[in-house]
Amino acid sequence: MRPFELTLADAAAAIRAKDLSPVELTDSVLARAEAVEGRLHAYVDVLAERARADAAQAAQEIAAGRPRGPLHGIPMGLKDLIDVKGLPTTASSAVRADHVADGDSAVTVRLADAGAVLLGKTHTHEFAYGLTTPQSRNAWDAERVAGGSSGGSAVAVAAGAATFALGTDTGGSIRVPASLNGVVGLKPTYGLIPRDGVTSLSWSLDHVGPLTRTVRDADLVLAALTGRDAQDSAGDLTGLRVGVPRTYYFDRVAPDVEAAVREAIERLRDLGAELVDVEIPMTRYVKAVQWGLMVPEATAYHERTLRTTPELYAPDVRVLLEAGELLLAGDYLRAQRARTLMRRAWALMMEQVDIVAAPAVPLTAAPVDQQSVQWADGSVESVSDSYVRLSAPANITGAPALTVPVGQDRAGLPIGMQLIGRPLEERTVLRAGRAYEATRTDAGRLAPGPAAEAGSQSR
Amino acid sequence: MPPEDLAPGEAAQWARRAGLPLEPGRTDLVTATANHIHAVVATLRELDFGDVPPSFDVPFAPEAPEARHAAL
Repeated sequence: MRPFELTLADAAAAIRAKDLSPVELTDSVLARAEAVEGRLHAYVDVLAERARADAAQAAQEIAAGRPRGPLHGIPMGLKDLIDVKGLPTTASSAVRADHVADGDSAVTVRLADAGAVLLGKTHTHEFAYGLTTPQSRNAWDAERVAGGSSGGSAVAVAAGAATFALGTDTGGSIRVPASLNGVVGLKPTYGLIPRDGVTSLSWSLDHVGPLTRTVRDADLVLAALTGRDAQDSAGDLTGLRVGVPRTYYFDRVAPDVEAAVREAIERLRDLGAELVDVEIPMTRYVKAVQWGLMVPEATAYHERTLRTTPELYAPDVRVLLEAGELLLAGDYLRAQRARTLMRRAWALMMEQVDIVAAPAVPLTAAPVDQQSVQWADGSVESVSDSYVRLSAPANITGAPALTVPVGQDRAGLPIGMQLIGRPLEERTVLRAGRAYEATRTDAGRLAPGPAAEAGSQSR
Repeated sequence: MPPEDLAPGEAAQWARRAGLPLEPGRTDLVTATANHIHAVVATLRELDFGDVPPSFDVPFAPEAPEARHAAL
C-alpha cells in the first residue's frame, strides 16, 4: 500500500512503528495531489516546500524521542476560511485577493501543537455561501459536483490528496461534501471547537470539524482539537437506542439513498442497538429558521465589502447578500426564538433515544450543470436546497452530527448516513459510527480514480 | 394579514435606506430573491412564542423544566 492510501490511524501506527517517516508520507500525498489536481481542483494552493520542511521537523522530533501523538507528521488540508498566519485566507473569493492572515486561527494552533503538517488551503464555495463548490470536482466523477461548501477538503481526502482535512458546517457544509465524496465528516456540537480566526458565514450556525477517511480518524482529529482522549475501540452497540425518523428524513429522498441507509440502520440493530421510531419535531420550520438566521448574519458579515467591491462576488453569492439587506430585524428575532423552541423540542425527543440515524443528503452528487431535482411526489427542489434540507436541523439545534459512507447508488456514487446525537455527546455518535464502520470491508477506501492515475507513483 | 411582497421600486427604496443603492439592472433579481426568502421565513409568524427568548440568550445545555412546556 502506498503511503497516500493509508488512513490517518494506519499512517500514525506506521510512523510510530518506524515503518514510515512523515517525510515519505508527505512526499507521497504531495505527489498524489499533483497527480489529481488537474482533474479535481481541491486546493486553492499547495504549499509543498513548507509541507516538506514541517514533515522533516516532525521526523526529527520523532527520531529524537519526542512524539506528540497520532497527528504528528500527518499531512492535512485546511478549508480556505481558516487563518494561517502569513498566508492569504481567500475564502475562494476575489474579494480576498490581497488578504494575508495576521495570526493563526485557534484550530491551526491546535493542529500545529499536535504536529500535523499543513499541505495547503482547500477550496470552499465562495465564503461558504453555497453547497456545490464549483471550483472543485467530485472525486468519484469529475462531471459531478464536489458538494459544499467544504468541497475541496472532502475531495482532497477522498482522493488521497490529504490524509485528513478541516472544514466548516453552517447548513451541512462538512456533511454534504463528505457524503458526496464517500468520506467521513463530523460536525461537532456548536461551540465545542473554537472558531477564532475562521471566516464566518453565520455566527449562530457555524461549526468547525474534521473530514476523514474513517470514523476512527475523525475521533483522532477531534481529540487533537478538543484536548480530550480518543476512544479505544468500537465494541458492540448493546443498549444503544437508535431513533429512526418516521417523518422528514426519509421524505423526498432518492430510493437508492433510502435503501442504503435503511440497510445500514439494520446493521446497527445487528450490532445490538434498539431501533425506536421517532417523530422529528417542528420540521415545517427548519428552512425558515436556517434562512432567518443565516441570511441576515451573512449580510452583516459582508456589510463593508458589499458596498465597496460588490462586483468581486460571484453572482449567486452577491444576490443573496444584497437580498439579506431587505429582511427585517423582526424576521431575524423570530428565527432566533424559533431556534430556542426547536432546541427544546429536540432535547425532548432525544430523551427517547441516544442517536438519530438518517440519510445525510437526499440525493448523491448531481451533475455540475443540474440545477434542480424532481421528487416522486412531483415537487421540484433546487439541488442546493435538497443538500441543506437534512443537514440544517443539526446546525439549528447545535447537536453533533456525523456522516458515514454506507455504500453507493446504482450510478456508483457514494451515499452517507447521518448519525445525530445529543449536544456534547460526540462519543456516542462516534461509537455508533465506528461500530458500523467495522462491519464494512470497504471502510476508509479512496475514491476510484481514472486508471491513468492509479500507477502515477509508487512508494 | 400575511405580509406582502415588496415591489421592485419598494425594494430599491429599502436598499437605499440600508445604505446599499442597487446598481441599475439588479433591482428585479434582488427583489425576487428577497421576496422568496421572505416567503420562507414568514412561516415563523405561525408560531406563538409567548415568553420564549432568542437562542443567543439561552444557555446551550438542556434543559430547564419550563422548556417542556414551551416545546409542546
